[in-house]
Amino acid sequence: MLAVRLPDQQLPRYVAGLLLLVAAFVVHLQIDGPLSLAEQWRLIIGGTPDGFEQVRFYYSALPRAVLAIMVGAVLGVVGSLLQQVTQNPLVAPMTIGASSGAWLALVCASVWLPWLGVDQRAIAALLGSVVAVTLVLVIAGRGGIGGLPVVLAGMATHILMGAAASAVILMNQEAAQGVFLWGAGDLTQNDWNWVEWLWPHLLLLPLILLFAPRPLSLMRLGEAGARGRGLSYGPVLVVLLLAALWILATSITAVGVIAFLGLIAPNIARSTGARRAGDELLSSGVFGACLLLGTDALAKLTGIWFGELVPSGTAAALVGAPALVIFARKKLGQGAHTALSLPHGARQLYTKTWVLMTLALVGLFLLTLTWVPNVSFWKEGVRFAWPSDLIWSLRGPRLLMAASAGAGMAVAGLILQRLIRNPLASPDILGMPAGATLALVALSVWTGTSIHESGPGVAFGGSLIVLTVLMLLGRRSHYAPGLVILVGISLAALMEALVHFVLAQGGDSGYVILGWLSGSTYRADGERSLMLAAGVALMFVIVLVLSRWLTLISIGDGMARARGVHVGRARLVLLVVVCALCALVTALMGPVAFVGLLSPHVAALLGARKVRPQLFLAAMVGMALMVLSDWLGRTLVYPDQLPAGLIAALIGGGYFLFLLTRRRLA
Amino acid sequence: MLRIFVCLYVAAVWVGAIATAQAGITVSDSRGEQHFESVPERVVALNWSMAENLVELGVEPVGVADTDGYSRWVAQPELPEDAVDVGGRAEPNMERIASLDPDLIVLSTTQTGLAEKMEKIAPVLFFDAYRRDHDNPEMAREIFKTLARVFARTDRAEEKLERLDERFQRLRERLKDHFGAALPRVTSALFMSPSVVRIFGDNSMPQHALKRLGMQPALPQKRTQWGQVQKKVSDLSRIEDGILLYFKPLDRARDLFSKPLWKALPVVARGRVAAVEPTWTYGGAMSLRYLAENMTDALLTIEP
Repeated sequence: MLAVRLPDQQLPRYVAGLLLLVAAFVVHLQIDGPLSLAEQWRLIIGGTPDGFEQVRFYYSALPRAVLAIMVGAVLGVVGSLLQQVTQNPLVAPMTIGASSGAWLALVCASVWLPWLGVDQRAIAALLGSVVAVTLVLVIAGRGGIGGLPVVLAGMATHILMGAAASAVILMNQEAAQGVFLWGAGDLTQNDWNWVEWLWPHLLLLPLILLFAPRPLSLMRLGEAGARGRGLSYGPVLVVLLLAALWILATSITAVGVIAFLGLIAPNIARSTGARRAGDELLSSGVFGACLLLGTDALAKLTGIWFGELVPSGTAAALVGAPALVIFARKKLGQGAHTALSLPHGARQLYTKTWVLMTLALVGLFLLTLTWVPNVSFWKEGVRFAWPSDLIWSLRGPRLLMAASAGAGMAVAGLILQRLIRNPLASPDILGMPAGATLALVALSVWTGTSIHESGPGVAFGGSLIVLTVLMLLGRRSHYAPGLVILVGISLAALMEALVHFVLAQGGDSGYVILGWLSGSTYRADGERSLMLAAGVALMFVIVLVLSRWLTLISIGDGMARARGVHVGRARLVLLVVVCALCALVTALMGPVAFVGLLSPHVAALLGARKVRPQLFLAAMVGMALMVLSDWLGRTLVYPDQLPAGLIAALIGGGYFLFLLTRRRLA
Repeated sequence: MLRIFVCLYVAAVWVGAIATAQAGITVSDSRGEQHFESVPERVVALNWSMAENLVELGVEPVGVADTDGYSRWVAQPELPEDAVDVGGRAEPNMERIASLDPDLIVLSTTQTGLAEKMEKIAPVLFFDAYRRDHDNPEMAREIFKTLARVFARTDRAEEKLERLDERFQRLRERLKDHFGAALPRVTSALFMSPSVVRIFGDNSMPQHALKRLGMQPALPQKRTQWGQVQKKVSDLSRIEDGILLYFKPLDRARDLFSKPLWKALPVVARGRVAAVEPTWTYGGAMSLRYLAENMTDALLTIEP
């Protein structure tokens, strides 16, 4: 039975969609080529190319357009499938970790296994994305797959994989050059190889369109409902996901990372009236193809205007970021209306925990100050020495900066987890730090100045713009968490696209930005670290004063309202505090991931269940984590160094796996 | 008698003035004037092109950032064996630099903004070598001369620069013997993937070397910070009558040469393409010699 039927009211949409597709195809082919339409037609129907322009049309322009259609359709269908399976309009290849998994795998392959062929690279990318997605799904658990948890887990995995990839790139700058273009998503072709390589892999696509709609519409009834109608829920879910990932990974291998499309196409399909499962899949495919053709045409045009190659992924991100916010914002009015469940650990907070924590922190401070790093730990052994004035002036500010950044992010994370009532919330996926980061990166790319030269003012400006946008968009939904995260995701993807664009251009500028993006204390000086410490201390005091709000809101909006808290306003104020903390850390040091996620958890595990003790303990944990990361970054690969933020992200990722094995997030 | 005294006095002041002038030297880097009391002896170079400059001047740097990377990607001229690796170029290890007890640290574009911090350890020279708003090759020459003055090796530098000019002269004559008086137009490039190529245009070292060999670019490109522009391989069709040189290694674009589009490129169809041995394209003044030699070797394989 053919699952895709076309009742009368759907026909106009498909006619319009196909006309749009043909129009986009024709327009795409007209850019950058002198051939007449008649000549083009002769070549399309199989005429032999004659002369360079015809060869170029046949071997470059045509395969590029065809590939854009194929990949766009794949992204649309896969996005729709993922969104229907999870019933979550925010799920897409990027938010579920698939693209970053593939990116990490390919970066590693190009540095350590440069002799790999195309097919082996495809398999590496597939493995990377399957590992990442499996991780995300298992962490989010069956209960979390439909809501924010899967997106939070996805973004956390995205950050973890991205951090690992950045570490590899920073340590192997020249060798990593080859993958940057791929990371930026480039559709440039000069033969039919990729099209020929890709199409057999896409044979799964019609099968999905044929067989997926029935189980998908049953899944809309919920797991119990679907089972009641005789669907074996688990196996079908796994088969559908694997099929989707396979075609996704092959198209990622062919053209690189193209964000947003998979997220937007299904949302457009739904907003034009696609309701039934099969209908949504097919229309998403058509709209996905149109979108990629369109953005790729834009990339070609800007490339001509700019005199330089502009990767399609960059263009897609520039168009997609605002589009995503516009399309998805309505669906995110309702946050997760659950109470916060913190990980269970010690039943109560013992005095000895405080003593031990303090001792550990002092011990760490002493260790980082007195440890003498050396090239080979085994040969030269361990040596401690009290720092000389010079060494003190080098290590001291870094220590202070790492500690304050850790405390700041920990407090920000704690507020956010209690506000959103989700233990997976982490301030680094919020819009605000992303806004600060984006402002700095964009300025550096635009003006060609070093990212270290633009001051904190730019970062604050970036956060402020995002904050204003959030306040305008979010007033109706009482600043629901979904929106805040959505804006964060869009900005993060935009930023990534920009960074990949700079990296792909070559020269050393890209590495400097990448190093800064990894959160390094390297450039800390006395003034900056004191400024950060003072700012974080001030915010800490403010949060202490407001801790009653936090306690009540983390129980539930109803409870808070009953006790006389104006929930909307309280949320906004607390969000502003989170923003201020993130902007401070980002502006003075650089983005720091995972510390905000991890520290409140550890504090809870140690027995801090109430807001105030958790605040103090989380700040201490954050400090300890960052100081430890900074020390590891300075000593592990001595005389090279790795940024503290990057090490913290890797440690945080390890903790994530630990949470997974303990099933705390199920 | 008095007159003799006056003469002696004037002579003494004069000699004294020369002595003080020799004791101290003032040069300007990208931040302004820097004064040195004596010739630095323990130098750390945080950038590969700066390390190259020092070695060419006969100064052995005690520390260089990413020595492994240098030997792999720059290769010529060789670093002294005992040069200590002081960490990566973007974040060189300050404690390790301090432990070398240097009396000069040389920074370049990648270390923008680090001069102030480094000055805690030792005097710093910062050269913003690669910028869009200046002439990179001209700047490289200036930097080389400035460093020569710091190390009191101006004679050696002048001699090296003169020999470089002579070398260019001789290579140009060889090219003229091969191609005739009217030299062809040449553009050099590096393949990033089978479909994308990095073309060295205005403000790049390879194009400058070609110009000094007497050749105009076959595919002029806009001026950028690092002198390179990323393009589609098919854009190479705009080379009308000229030669395309590409730098090895080719591992990123191995199967390019079997493609119909490549074979159809006018420049390929005419057989006006040649490969250049691996050469560092972001070096200092003396790197032009390796660029010129390797590119000349490649050009001589092409039929006139």
